[in-house]
Amino acid sequence: MLQRIIYTIDQLSKTIGHAFSWCALMLTLGTCYEVFVRYVLNDPTSWAFDLSYLMYGALFFMAGAYTLSRGGHVRADMFYRLWPDRTQATVELTLYVLFFFPGILALVIAGWGYGSGAMRIHEVSVNSPAGMPIWPLKMLIPVGGALMMMQGVAEVLRCVLCLRDGRWPARLHDVEELENQILAEAARKRAAEATEATAKEAA
Amino acid sequence: MSDPAVALTMLGILVFAIMIGFPVAFTLMALGVGFGYYAYFQPQQYFFDNRVFFLLTQNTFTVLNNDALVSIPLFLLMGYLVERANILDNLFKSLQIALRGVPASLAVATLATCALFATATGIVGAVVTLMGMLAFPQMLKAGYDSRLAAGVVCAGGCLGILIPPSIMLIVYGAIASISVVKLYAAAMVPGFLLAGMYMLYVIAVGILKPQLAPPLPKDEGRVSTGELLTMLAKSFFPLALLILSVLGAILFGLATPTEAAAVGAFGAGVLAVAYRTFTWQGLRESMFLTARTSAMVCWLFVGSATFASVFAYLGGNVMIKDFVLGLDLNPITFLLLSQAIIFVLGWPLEWTEIIIIFVPIFLPMLPHFGIDPMVFGVLVAINLQTAFLSPPMAMAAYYLKGVSPPSVLLTQIFSGCMPFVYIVLVTMVIMYVFPQTTLWLPELLYG
Repeated sequence: MLQRIIYTIDQLSKTIGHAFSWCALMLTLGTCYEVFVRYVLNDPTSWAFDLSYLMYGALFFMAGAYTLSRGGHVRADMFYRLWPDRTQATVELTLYVLFFFPGILALVIAGWGYGSGAMRIHEVSVNSPAGMPIWPLKMLIPVGGALMMMQGVAEVLRCVLCLRDGRWPARLHDVEELENQILAEAARKRAAEATEATAKEAA
Repeated sequence: MSDPAVALTMLGILVFAIMIGFPVAFTLMALGVGFGYYAYFQPQQYFFDNRVFFLLTQNTFTVLNNDALVSIPLFLLMGYLVERANILDNLFKSLQIALRGVPASLAVATLATCALFATATGIVGAVVTLMGMLAFPQMLKAGYDSRLAAGVVCAGGCLGILIPPSIMLIVYGAIASISVVKLYAAAMVPGFLLAGMYMLYVIAVGILKPQLAPPLPKDEGRVSTGELLTMLAKSFFPLALLILSVLGAILFGLATPTEAAAVGAFGAGVLAVAYRTFTWQGLRESMFLTARTSAMVCWLFVGSATFASVFAYLGGNVMIKDFVLGLDLNPITFLLLSQAIIFVLGWPLEWTEIIIIFVPIFLPMLPHFGIDPMVFGVLVAINLQTAFLSPPMAMAAYYLKGVSPPSVLLTQIFSGCMPFVYIVLVTMVIMYVFPQTTLWLPELLYG
């Protein structure tokens, strides 16, 4: 049951994170288009500057929960990694209550007032004549915060599972940094060679 | 408790929470909100009318539309695309042939490949593991001392943190309110100075102790000049052109860093298509990794913004500044002390945390000691790349160990890195004694 809830939340964070990661492509293409029309055709757009930070803001803010679900937010684990799983889970559970939910909850509630205020007046950017709507970016604060909150619940449930079973439940994996892929591959190869060597010895 | 004492408590709790290993972005946000509520508390005010909630949303939005940070995902994307374009093999091969007349030519070619590739990707682990599989075995086969070979791969892989377009300098620029363009110009000479000193060192080893870096057999890999030029044209020049055009556009003020980074990312995609290594899988991976790494860096900004403003409101900054100024240090002592603290912080912490949380504590003191924040920033960048290279942490050594044959010991890799750590220290001394190494190019370009 708990597994199911964690899995569902992870999936949701991943889907939203993956969807918003394409903002990076739009950011690239939009800015390149602006470079082309401004420097080559001498006819700049009225929207590219606003588009760039809208895409950047949406990208990183909405990918926050996805990053959390992959354990990607920076932490100093020099002591943490030495502890047994149960100790890690106890500490982490406590810290989620103390240092995660208060801040994120404040972000969601205060952000809701901020975002809905901007939405009501259909606030637009003052940077450019295109009048790009800016309220969606403000509205992302409570939405991204709520998503983060939900992922936090999943992380807390992970701690609970770990306390029950004595070891951490497996995480979902999609894509890893290249060095981690290479290192995992090298370790696998070495392990295969070692088993082969023992098999030969046994024979 | 007086307000500055409360601020110190806040900092103390932060350090404690970091040490026990909770993700720092959230700790910062919670402490900022909690202590901010106390700092801005007014009786007879509704709970959510407290000023801290306004600050929190306002600061978050400032990070969301911060145009100094927009180039971060773009440079990351460029790096991930270059990393997946599978251009390293041919790049190394052609540089190795081009440099075959130089003493210790394999090591010099490795350093040159690392410098170029690391500049394009900026990701230490990727460069070290890839070169650890490609160049390291070749050097061992050619009879190189395993320590020297290991040091060359690790040191070369770390160069990307420093040489522009580096993400670290963008983050420092955003924190210190310095234009990234000027910082890039400031880091150019020290970056290439460091890479050049690495090369001079291995060439000197090749001449003085040829048994550690034996020359290649005369006829090995000999090709005609025409063939060599074709090889370089296919592997070296496209990547070099990509980097030079991105950097050139930024440095000569032809385009903003964001625009140059976008063209760079686009160019990296074109490069992958031209090398026939472009895949949807690779593109998707690059997008998702870009999103995750950007979220990691920028959420730290979200957390730290509120923390920093509450800390300053409570008088924490002034108190620390007064304390340090009260010590009556001379500039050299201050610089040594601050760099030593940053170096030690680099053991448990990542550079993102150090620059976003701890470097701002030093920044207000710089004018008093007459230290240019640009020089300080480049020193910090060089310093923090050393954390990847020198024991006890030396992530680069662990990356290399993970891909090298079992006969190569971690201790050998560590001792191989040490000469390069000394070269870094010498470079930092040169930069301090001759600030012109840093300031010359920005002054030349921007007056």
